[in-house]
Amino acid sequence: MALRELPSVFSRLTVRGSRSTTVAAARNCRRYASSQATSTTPDLAADLQDLESQSSFTASEYPEEKIKAYDPVKRAQGRKRQLPPSRFQYRPPRYYRGPLHPHQPPPASDPSSRVFVPGPFSHTRLEQTYQSTIAPDLMTLTYVHKPPGTETTPKADRLRTWDDSSPYHKGRPKRGPRGPGEVLRIVEKDINWRNIPKIKEVTVHTMIKGATEDSAHLHVGGIMIQAVTGVRPTVHRAKHSVAQFGIRKNTPISLTSTLRGDQAYEFVDKCINLVFPKIKDWSGVKGTTGDGAGNISFGFDREGAILFPEVEVNYDMYPPKMIPGFHVTVKTTATSDRQARLLLTALGVPFYGKLVD
Amino acid sequence: MAKLPSATLRRAHLPSSPQQFTQCRHASLLRRPHRPYTFTQLVTLSDGSTYTQRTTSPQPIYRSTKDTRNHPLWQPSLDNLRNVEQDEAGRLRAFRNRFGRGWDLESTGEDAGSKEGKNAAAGSGADASKKTAAVGAGSDEEGSLMDLISGGAYTQSYQQTREASKGPKGGEGQGAKASAKDPAEDDSEKAKKKKK
Repeated sequence: MALRELPSVFSRLTVRGSRSTTVAAARNCRRYASSQATSTTPDLAADLQDLESQSSFTASEYPEEKIKAYDPVKRAQGRKRQLPPSRFQYRPPRYYRGPLHPHQPPPASDPSSRVFVPGPFSHTRLEQTYQSTIAPDLMTLTYVHKPPGTETTPKADRLRTWDDSSPYHKGRPKRGPRGPGEVLRIVEKDINWRNIPKIKEVTVHTMIKGATEDSAHLHVGGIMIQAVTGVRPTVHRAKHSVAQFGIRKNTPISLTSTLRGDQAYEFVDKCINLVFPKIKDWSGVKGTTGDGAGNISFGFDREGAILFPEVEVNYDMYPPKMIPGFHVTVKTTATSDRQARLLLTALGVPFYGKLVD
Repeated sequence: MAKLPSATLRRAHLPSSPQQFTQCRHASLLRRPHRPYTFTQLVTLSDGSTYTQRTTSPQPIYRSTKDTRNHPLWQPSLDNLRNVEQDEAGRLRAFRNRFGRGWDLESTGEDAGSKEGKNAAAGSGADASKKTAAVGAGSDEEGSLMDLISGGAYTQSYQQTREASKGPKGGEGQGAKASAKDPAEDDSEKAKKKKK
């Protein structure tokens, strides 16, 4: 971009500097009526006297016979074979070398980009159900009518302000809650048409105990997670040594894969419609699940993991004793557990036991 | 030979932490994302409905035998999915009358009594009590939903109404118990006859 604008800038300067180069400048550049009008003022011209009137860009001493001899159509017809495909293809740079480098990689949405991911290819069934039925239902069911003129009592500020005992307190940000372990919890918002809870992402996580002795467990688990989710899992190393679990620091111990968008909806759909009903004596997801911020977790043990259709189809591939179970965390945009549970119940997840909000 | 001043003179620079020098990234590799191939799969649920999904499984059609369409947890209104014994000819009942209920390990006495009552006479007191219980549970769920809407005001009013209407419900329960006891008494009488 910058290079493209450069000649025009130079042309403007040259126009101001001396009238004689106007023709040369206009040959390859745009002319600006406004700049021509201002060029008559003498003080501007005096300012720009120091600049070179002829730039290397405008003064092109290209030989005329070379220009005449340039005939790309003739050259292409005279060519015996087609050019190799690499001559027609744009290859994006392999490395990103910073924002000032002249060779910039294309954006990720460009199909020629190295990090381009095509799709989405289809509308997910569960997402369609969500858009058509669940979202309007949730919005309607949780509507709280406030008659006009209702006086809302403003809640107390959760952040502590500074007493203005010092002049330096002016402009300081407010402080968080006092005490160790006290964190600013998320505030539950009312559901309106703008924040109907929906599935943001799904994280599948498994801690593989056998990976401490034999890394084969990790490989089997990784392939199983990839088959089930359709996303290449990331390996995580142990942060601390835990003697009770037999974990040493920096040992690869667990796998996660994060699903977003269509994949997340498809995975939840698969869990609800195909896997949950097949689990023996399954009463539902525990009602006490949730982290208080609208993220609901449930798990599949080894027997549950086998029931996924992707594992079922080539079950013989996996060494039977190495198949792990896994945890699933459904992250929603809901701001409390009960709203998240409302969403998941509407999607078809049964909850049992005591419900903790 | 005189040395160049650039070689002899050191460039003046600001004192800074050594970390600034170690943090030197010339280029970062743009890694191509690893994505397993996904096939389009036609899923046929147990009730015959179909839909397509993208999976890593190469199976073109997946036929499900057990899913939400034929599971009692998701289809509570379908009685044929429930594990209730069919005893239209009364043969199981006859067997129990003759040999007792010692083989039914799981069911307790009260449960068994209520089951028999149900089998013997449809629409008896036991059935009515079950229905009222179910209705109560349903209204409880409704109450929790209403609480979500009205912010806890519903439950209070609901409990008040419930306390007011406690009397007749208790009476119904007693009636159910009485009807449930009847077949058990019949059993004991028959056993006495056999001994004679």
